Amino acid sequence: MGFVELKNIDLSYDGSKYILKDLNLTIEKGELVSLLGPSGCGKTTTLRIIAGLINPNSGSFIVDGENLTNVPVHKRNFGMVFQSYALFPHMTVFDNVAFGLKNRKMDKNTIKEKVGRILEVTDLSQFAGRFPKQMSGGQRQRVALARALVVEPKLLLLDEPLSNLDAKLRISMRTEIKRIQQKLGITTVFVTHDQEECFSISDKVAVMNNGDIEQYDTPENIYKYPSTEFVARFIGFDNFFNVEKANYHNYKDIFGHQFVIDYEDSRTQAVATIRPDDIQVVPEDSNMNSIKGIVDVRTFLGDSYQYEIKTELGKINVNHKSEKPYQQGDAVYLLMPSNKIILV
Amino acid sequence: MKLKRNTMLLLLPGTVLLILFLFLPLLSILFPTFFNEAFTIGKYVEFFKDSYNLGILWRTFKISMIVTIICVILGVPTAYFMSLTSKRTRSLLLAVTLFPLLTNSVIRSFAWITILGKNGVLNSFLLSLNIIKEPVGLLYSEFAIIIGTVYLFLPILITTVLGVLDNIDGDLIEAAQTLGANYFKSFTKVILPLCIPGILVGSMLVFTGTLTAYTTPQMLGGNKNMMLATMLYQEASALGNWTNAGVIALIMIVVTLLVMQIFNIIANQFDKRGEDENA
Repeated sequence: MGFVELKNIDLSYDGSKYILKDLNLTIEKGELVSLLGPSGCGKTTTLRIIAGLINPNSGSFIVDGENLTNVPVHKRNFGMVFQSYALFPHMTVFDNVAFGLKNRKMDKNTIKEKVGRILEVTDLSQFAGRFPKQMSGGQRQRVALARALVVEPKLLLLDEPLSNLDAKLRISMRTEIKRIQQKLGITTVFVTHDQEECFSISDKVAVMNNGDIEQYDTPENIYKYPSTEFVARFIGFDNFFNVEKANYHNYKDIFGHQFVIDYEDSRTQAVATIRPDDIQVVPEDSNMNSIKGIVDVRTFLGDSYQYEIKTELGKINVNHKSEKPYQQGDAVYLLMPSNKIILV
Repeated sequence: MKLKRNTMLLLLPGTVLLILFLFLPLLSILFPTFFNEAFTIGKYVEFFKDSYNLGILWRTFKISMIVTIICVILGVPTAYFMSLTSKRTRSLLLAVTLFPLLTNSVIRSFAWITILGKNGVLNSFLLSLNIIKEPVGLLYSEFAIIIGTVYLFLPILITTVLGVLDNIDGDLIEAAQTLGANYFKSFTKVILPLCIPGILVGSMLVFTGTLTAYTTPQMLGGNKNMMLATMLYQEASALGNWTNAGVIALIMIVVTLLVMQIFNIIANQFDKRGEDENA
């Protein structure tokens, strides 16, 4: 049994439309698990159920062997960082961070010591007397993190904590979060819609869609072997087409093009997919894994060009680096390496 | 802030109206209070020497204070409750809250007369339950004025505080709860401090409103329980002494401005939260 267990969680506000349907999730102690998905997929709702801010219609929530399903928010002892940071505007940084400790009726000296220590860890010591309004976005973010961590929570919950920061700060903050999380060994649930952010810091990722988890695995596995079309699309796969197994690793599409696909799969019918980055544009036809197409649209991406290429299989998107870009109307051949095609 | 001249023109109609129909008449009333052949503040000295006048001034101040406190005690929890309800319940509650404002204050005072009078609803009720043996004189007392005025001004306080509560980020309450604060604590430690500026603004409206209220004290207070506004009316209308009425008017204006200033200072103290200093 895992440290955190969500079992058969259902949530519906009207009894007919389910926001979460039979959701199961297990998190091991010390792990940083991300809930990844598009907006409306139920990831924030799941986090709020974990926090106790929403009660599920059915199912149970267990932490460390203790059933917390009906324990109110303020007795759960979790730390939560909100997307808006939710710092108390009428309190100084020190008082914001001390708030959780005061609720636990600790004596003044202990509070002072603990707050002092966490402010040091989050590099905020010199700002203790400031009000949230006097601080920058990144600093407020750290205050929110310090406030959640100082109570030594059983679980740290992060609700898109980096989405209000600029791109550069976002990258340094996520490293910071990972560093602190590892240092304190605290089990963490992180909600995000940004796959790069999520892959970079997570031990495991749960990709969510329509109130359910589509795939729950390590970032590496999800990146390489998405298990459903939705996951594949969400993490950057494109160019989906139906294939039929001939034998072993040999497949055919409906037009008879032959493909060798290394991916292990026992099904006779499957959907093949490949990332735009992994397709090579070649001047000549080769027997296997290649189809002919005509350049339809070209867009410049900075380090490469993206082509939309008309083929028998429909439109295929390709990212290609070349000194001399192809022009609209050029005939090209697309080579899909056997180790880059996956089946979903 | 720099305003364009065209924008300033928008103020013109209002300004002209105020100068012609408020400031000039006010000056014409106040002017005589300072002149008796030469400049003098004798009228004012006279006013403050008279213990009867001081009694009325004190009663006005006291009733305004009590009404404000009662309105805060009744209004803040109500507003908080309303802020937590669903949109539908809330608009219903808001309609109920604002309903008294739709009726004329004379009619509302009459309602209280039928309730509080010797043969009124309340007395009959208490008599029928044998709680009292004889009807009690609830009407024409400070108590009646207070009840009537609270009834009059409570909606204003509720709506003001509700407006402030609506602007408090809901995440703050949830954040407080995740940090171990129960409902009561998140109210007292987070919500209440954040809506104090709003409570102060509401209180200011109630206080100055009560201080200058005329209809309710006139109808529910009777002649024994005069307040500044009713005394002013008596001086001007019944006794025809416009100079004395002017004296009272200025005193009311000064007291009102003073009180507003005090409330503003307190509100600013609470609203600071470090905005004045730069990060």
